[in-house]
Amino acid sequence: MEHAYYFWWALLWIIGWGAVGGIVTPRIYSKKDLDVSQAALAGTAIGAAGGPFALAPLWYLTPRLNWKWVVVPGVVILAIFAASFAAADPNNLCVTNGPFVATQVTNGLIVGIIYGLMALGLTLIFSIVGIVSFAHGEFYMIGGMAVYYFTVVWFPGMSPFWGILLAAALTFALGAAFELLFLRVMNTGKVERPDEYAILVTFGLSFFLQYFTLALVGANPKKVQRFLDFPAFGLPSANHPTVLKVTSSTVNLFNTISISSPRLTAALMSLVLLGLLLWFLQKTWLGKALRAVSQDRAAAVTGINPDTMNTLAFGIGTMLAGLAGAALVQVFSWVPWVGTLASARGFVIIVLGGMGSLPGAFIGGLIVGVVEALGAGCVPDPQRAAAYIPAYGMVILTLVLLLKPTGLFGREL
Amino acid sequence: MSQSKWIWGLTIGGTLLLVLAPLKLQSQPYIMHIAIVAFFYAILASSWSLLAGYAGQFSFGHMAFMAIGAYSTGLYGKFVRLTTAPTHICKEIPLGKYWLVIMNIYGNNCLEAGKANMPVGTLIYRLPAFQGIILGALMGGLFGLLVGVLVLRLRAAYLALFTIGFSEIVRVALNAEIKVTDGPNGLELAPLFPRGVHILGYSFAPTDKLPPYYVMLLLFLLSMGIMHWLSISRFGLFIRSIREDEEAAAALGVHIIRYKVLVFVITSMIAAAAGAVEAHYIGVITPNILLILQMSLVIAMAVIGGLESLLGAAIGAIIIEFALEFLRTSFTIGSVTVDMTTWRLVFFGLLLMITLRFWTSGLIHPLIQRVTRAGVAEETVAKRKAAEG
Repeated sequence: MEHAYYFWWALLWIIGWGAVGGIVTPRIYSKKDLDVSQAALAGTAIGAAGGPFALAPLWYLTPRLNWKWVVVPGVVILAIFAASFAAADPNNLCVTNGPFVATQVTNGLIVGIIYGLMALGLTLIFSIVGIVSFAHGEFYMIGGMAVYYFTVVWFPGMSPFWGILLAAALTFALGAAFELLFLRVMNTGKVERPDEYAILVTFGLSFFLQYFTLALVGANPKKVQRFLDFPAFGLPSANHPTVLKVTSSTVNLFNTISISSPRLTAALMSLVLLGLLLWFLQKTWLGKALRAVSQDRAAAVTGINPDTMNTLAFGIGTMLAGLAGAALVQVFSWVPWVGTLASARGFVIIVLGGMGSLPGAFIGGLIVGVVEALGAGCVPDPQRAAAYIPAYGMVILTLVLLLKPTGLFGREL
Repeated sequence: MSQSKWIWGLTIGGTLLLVLAPLKLQSQPYIMHIAIVAFFYAILASSWSLLAGYAGQFSFGHMAFMAIGAYSTGLYGKFVRLTTAPTHICKEIPLGKYWLVIMNIYGNNCLEAGKANMPVGTLIYRLPAFQGIILGALMGGLFGLLVGVLVLRLRAAYLALFTIGFSEIVRVALNAEIKVTDGPNGLELAPLFPRGVHILGYSFAPTDKLPPYYVMLLLFLLSMGIMHWLSISRFGLFIRSIREDEEAAAALGVHIIRYKVLVFVITSMIAAAAGAVEAHYIGVITPNILLILQMSLVIAMAVIGGLESLLGAAIGAIIIEFALEFLRTSFTIGSVTVDMTTWRLVFFGLLLMITLRFWTSGLIHPLIQRVTRAGVAEETVAKRKAAEG
């Protein structure tokens, strides 16, 4: 960072005027007897984007605010952020090297799809069972471990397809059993404060599962071979692969964007699973019953047993986490504590997308994937950049909880 | 005997036991060490039970406040010195005939470079650990205030998510800012009494366990006293009313914002003070104390002891810390070696879940109630009601 102060002053400007806008705007709107529902958020965005030059006319004219008053300043804030970063560090790879940025963004999107799959499980559990499972990351970890043990240790040579299927079955069974043993009691009214009980008991489960796995398998990192070897070819021709070049380990687009093939396999697998999940939720009786329960537990009058639906939803949710883990075990090396970070990431995604919203979880996953990839690629001092990866998501979480706790697509609280 | 006599007798007896026990045990430094760490966890577990059990704020960031306290005193000891002559290079504040030197974080060590400017015989002092501990507690309170204000609108799961996020950010920052915090290697701290303790004709070396034992015990008794007094005062009633129903409490005139923030500030200060003392006692602090494992242990201690009982949580913490240490030895059955360092944690995770599921008020708290017959009145009322109903 040659002129780091550009960046920090810009950041200070954004935060300072954002806070002023967020605090003062609702007061002015309520004094003038106007709708204040969007005032805090829009005030923050406008203040952060334009400072006093935008806030003064806003407070004087007080136009009716809708989502456009948030999105446009949001884009301006991003532009200020990027410009000040470029000014502060003109020699950064992210500023000088376009293909590098494109590669980072593409890889972020690809990993984001898989994050989205995991977060879908979490948000499904929230929308039906009504709790946030703090053990979600542990099921993700178990999914990956199961694939490793089935395909590498116990049955070497077993096709990854069966390994993934078994991992899905295992995580489903574990999740459903936990729901039966520990969460069903919440519906009987015997638990005094069910929300807090759910937080603590899933937190305890995460602690238990993580150390149980550690005790069983040890702390050595596990690695699984890539599931698919792509056939080598190129477009338009094998000798001049200007558009697309595929080798067994990487896929290269336009000679600029390179994606490792395990990641692509995992993302494609996730897309297929997402399609299956949508089909299940929209077209089958069980899926419709699940959605009915998520809207109103009084669905019981139509012959749906909400308790069974809870068990099913929890099982499917944990299974999705397990599948995400099974898809990613070929990309990252696997240790019993990978789940902690995955849990945290899942929380960020569902809060960002809106608790209980399925499309929100998917889009939130993409956003978090891109932010993490750019953060890891752009922050100067590679060691620091890597260390801060978990923090980028947490910054998003903090901002969303402070500014718009309902997230992008959440139901109003 | 009446109920209050029982309670007073037990409290005084227990305190005397804790004060006098080390006179017998001081020849066994291992036991003393476990006892000091157990008090540390007891302070954390009971302050968490005030925050979560009494006020209903399920924060997973308690260890972050503890770490803020520990790192505050650590950084104070690392970067601040008192000298008898100015360096002319560092930032320095004259204090009478001394200079308070604040060393620069990046670049060369200005104190070393500044020694050239100092006359021969200049003395350079580290500041006493005591000051650092007070500073740590204040920093913990400050961050508690900040977090308390930020989470005002958040409830249940949202609060838990936010505080996990806060704790992770603190951990990552401590890990990454190697030049300031020494990163994963940990920040080294001076012992509580760098020159030992000389009192009543006895001398203790800086590594002796007895002085830190009494420091930690004092902090434990002090914080238990403060928290107990708070919990039986109006403050305790108010925060419990907030836990039960925020709107109803507000309608009855409880200043919700004030009490929610206050409970965050108080419990964070207590946790930070405990962290600062523990860091000085251990001599090194690493970001690993912020791992979810540590928070899980504190939660397990509070839940198994009794979430809504300060004393229960404290006793639970002490028992579990001793159990954790004594379960450390691995053993072999046939050809299989059982690695107890991990399995004991599995066991406590399971115990946490089962306690939550079947004994909501914990395992220790009901025992205390039975001994002191504290619950008898309520039970009788409940029985009569059942008979009438």
